[in-house]
Amino acid sequence: MTRTLDITGLTCPMTWVKTKLELERMAPGEELAVRCREGEALENVPRSAREAGHAVSVEGTTIRIVRA
Amino acid sequence: MSSSRRSFLRELTGAVRDVAAAAQAPAEEPAPPPSRDPLADASLERYSRQLVMPEWSEAAQRALSDASVIVVGAGALGSPVAMYLAGAGVGRLGIVDNDDVELSNLHRQLLHFTPDLGVPKAHSAAAKLGFLNPEVVAEPYQVRLDAANAPGLIEGADLVVDCSDSFATRYDVNAACCAARIPLVEAGVLGMSGLVMGIRPCEGACYRCAFPEPPPDAPSCATAGVLGPAAGVIGSLQALEALKLLTGVGEPLVGAFLQVDLALLSFLRVSVQRRADCPDCAGA
Repeated sequence: MTRTLDITGLTCPMTWVKTKLELERMAPGEELAVRCREGEALENVPRSAREAGHAVSVEGTTIRIVRA
Repeated sequence: MSSSRRSFLRELTGAVRDVAAAAQAPAEEPAPPPSRDPLADASLERYSRQLVMPEWSEAAQRALSDASVIVVGAGALGSPVAMYLAGAGVGRLGIVDNDDVELSNLHRQLLHFTPDLGVPKAHSAAAKLGFLNPEVVAEPYQVRLDAANAPGLIEGADLVVDCSDSFATRYDVNAACCAARIPLVEAGVLGMSGLVMGIRPCEGACYRCAFPEPPPDAPSCATAGVLGPAAGVIGSLQALEALKLLTGVGEPLVGAFLQVDLALLSFLRVSVQRRADCPDCAGA
């Protein structure tokens, strides 16, 4: 089952803080769909998630992260 | 100075004195701290820049908010230690100091300001820590730590950070921490050099294992002087080691001390063995 997280109301660094904390609460292999705004979050959150070792794909303004 | 700036400073001074006075007065009903959940939305932003670190986690942040730490001394080392621990979100900070703020303290003791002259350091420190992070419970203990009261002062603490300025106090703190098996971060600073040592009683060497006797001609800050930023560096290292020991993040300096020469910017890590005949930790 895919979890969802809405960070459209947040700015850096809270965008990644919220995403990171949600990922910490998930099991390896689980998927998180993060809804964000265009711009900073869409650039930084996928990069931070990849740097943390997770698998990332982006569809529009939804970032799909599979927890490592 | 403009009159508006003067009146602003007057108000600020008044606010500090009010908080210090309130801290000294017996509280009828202590107000609860604003939040006890470090990951509630209201608190999350406060800790966000450490939470984004790959090494940091929800568990690390909760470990800090659940922790009770005693800081012995609210001076040159105690200021950065208490400020960084409060900022990082340590739940309870007990500040032990029996001195009043003096003019000659201010070049290195960052928690105290000119309007605090004559105020007990424990109360001056606790008031500032309350401004810095109202989520932290900062408790002033206006008392000089000694062998008799040390066990009671550190009882229940998860960690002790010794920021005192005498060998006698360091030995009292070390002995009490060994007996109670409470982790300890020791440090000292003089001139432009200093020393930091992490101690997990009975796992590695304690302070007395490393330094069985005080040096016979040990100078004090009053006679030898100390440079403010040197104390800041040593105190910051102490705070860093405290955060490592509390959270498990990073590799703490245990069973060794770090000798820091800031005139030459040299850092030397010295491993220390436990002594079988150590009066403080051998029987603990």
